[in-house]
Amino acid sequence: MSTALLKRVPSVRRVRWVLPALLLTGVACAAVAGMVAGRAVGAGQVAEVLAGGGDATARHVVLNLRMPRTLVALVAGACLGVAGTVLQSALRNPLAGPEVTGVTPGAVLGAVAATGLGFAGWRSPGAVVAAACAGGFAGAGLLWLLAGRDRGDPERTAVHGVLVSAVLSGLTAMVLLVAPGELGSVVQWLVGSTEGRVWTHWNLLWPWALAWGAAAWLLAAPLTLLRCGDEQAAAAGLRTGRARLAALACAVALTAGAVSVVGALGFVGLLVPHLAFALCGADLRYALPGAALTGAVVVGGADAGAQWLSRLLGPALGSDRLSIPAGALTTCVGAALLLIVARRRKEPT
Amino acid sequence: MYVAGGAALAAVTAAALCLGTPYVPLARLLPALGGDDLAGIVVTELRLPRLLLALVAGACLGAAGLVLQEALRNPLAVPEMLGVSGGAALGVAAPLVLALSVPLAAQPFLALGGAALGGLLTLVAAGFGRSPSAVLLTGAAVAAALQAALLVLMVLADQLDLQLVYRYLLGSLSARTWDDLAGLWPWLAAAVPALVLCAPVLSVLRLGDDDARALGVRVRRARIAALAIAVVLIAPVVAVCGPVAWVGFLAPHLARRLRPDLDAVGWLPWAAVWGALVVAAADQPARLALAPTETPVGAWTALLGVPAGVALLRRRAVRR
Repeated sequence: MSTALLKRVPSVRRVRWVLPALLLTGVACAAVAGMVAGRAVGAGQVAEVLAGGGDATARHVVLNLRMPRTLVALVAGACLGVAGTVLQSALRNPLAGPEVTGVTPGAVLGAVAATGLGFAGWRSPGAVVAAACAGGFAGAGLLWLLAGRDRGDPERTAVHGVLVSAVLSGLTAMVLLVAPGELGSVVQWLVGSTEGRVWTHWNLLWPWALAWGAAAWLLAAPLTLLRCGDEQAAAAGLRTGRARLAALACAVALTAGAVSVVGALGFVGLLVPHLAFALCGADLRYALPGAALTGAVVVGGADAGAQWLSRLLGPALGSDRLSIPAGALTTCVGAALLLIVARRRKEPT
Repeated sequence: MYVAGGAALAAVTAAALCLGTPYVPLARLLPALGGDDLAGIVVTELRLPRLLLALVAGACLGAAGLVLQEALRNPLAVPEMLGVSGGAALGVAAPLVLALSVPLAAQPFLALGGAALGGLLTLVAAGFGRSPSAVLLTGAAVAAALQAALLVLMVLADQLDLQLVYRYLLGSLSARTWDDLAGLWPWLAAAVPALVLCAPVLSVLRLGDDDARALGVRVRRARIAALAIAVVLIAPVVAVCGPVAWVGFLAPHLARRLRPDLDAVGWLPWAAVWGALVVAAADQPARLALAPTETPVGAWTALLGVPAGVALLRRRAVRR
């Protein structure tokens, strides 16, 4: 990445065309990588199918399995990126993310509980999405209640968020022990995985993502104010409580949608905003779309990378059905990055 | 205080040794000890070691929790939140899942390595605990990463291991015998003297970094030493019965609430006592609630610990 070169260009012009071009190229690359990274069908055949040829098996694999999988990965990544950016701006906390504000664990709990208790199966993705959304809102609501009068204090909100996340993960574990039959299928999902996503998932995800993404973008101006601090925002005539509530609702909805489809991808929502702010500057009108594209690149790339890795490691470990979940990659890379971010963060005053 | 503690201990002991299948009435308990009929074998070979293990494990976790909380000046600095428990669990679970055969004696060392790694990572990344809340957030990140690594391992595991690994990860005392207990003593022998030596420094660390430095304490070294002791206390316990959640949080707080007049040195034994009681008490519903299936003891301690943590946070918020 030629960030050093980019830094010399004035920021507005940089945002105007270089960056979108770069990010879109990145998304395209991630999509192509995701399309050709599977086991059964090679790159040549994929191109053949997309041109309208290919045999029946290849057509089925590419059109009904790989395309939705890749698209879902990209859109879910975009959702998580935007959700994380909105959360970090609204809470003024560079370490806030869906993972540590109770949203992701809540959504996971909702989906796992609904599946484990038999309200929804993997056959009915719609019910899972509904349950995950309910859980995500419940998790965020729990944090909201807990934080009580400390809501304005980013540090304490974050601490509460860590607690809430711990509680919800514990509850998820309890549910899994009560319904152990689901354990195998759910574990994939606790890490975050794009295995076996089909058009049904895509049809659920994209309208949701589009609607809430648009809402988030409309909130860009108040969010930029919120990032400056409550007093400044209030002085500029913004109703901080309301703006924050709307932003949180947006973030929760985006996260819940993404989590219900691909599971709890670790650290995407936490770290993509940092990348986006570094690339696009602090103006959220640019940073939000930037975060969406960055998130798509990250998750799409992780999905492709996980498939490549599975192909490489499968023979080595002597199992031809090994599939490393994409969430494993994002988490491992994310944790390392997170420590760097935490180190660089100024000491709170 | 002493009377209440003694009574609770007696009640837990009686419950642990008498209840269950077969039920052994109190009057028959003493004759049954060491006997070779069914009741005798159940009591001496199954229930007694399990009770003792619960007490020892709880005491270790409670004391370690207090050391960490005092050293990092944060009432929420529990082993779970700092990546210590997660690291230890990863060290134990990884060979299990990857089907590497590890001798039983080496397990504590694996746990020790993992715990030290997780704890050190947190401590270094948070700048050696200059700011109490930064430690917590960094620790949460490290713990989440370790948790994810564990989940990835579980994905790689086949269905049979999955149940075992999952139960272990929540902390469980089921089917533990004298052998497991015997493995803990050498570690305790190493940790307790270090604990006694380190306790006075903890009281000084509480004052804040600048004051501690003025009194001649090397803050960074003191924190690493505290972490090391906590790791030595936690790792063998985790190796035997998994990371029992929230004990390291509950026990120190009980100790502080019930004896607010003491300092860190005085709280240390009480934290150990309450930790032992909490785990032993939580193990009873774990054994009996859903009999014949056992529930992990960690689930019950979490059920107790989480509301307590929330209440504590609320109260501190009001006091500010």
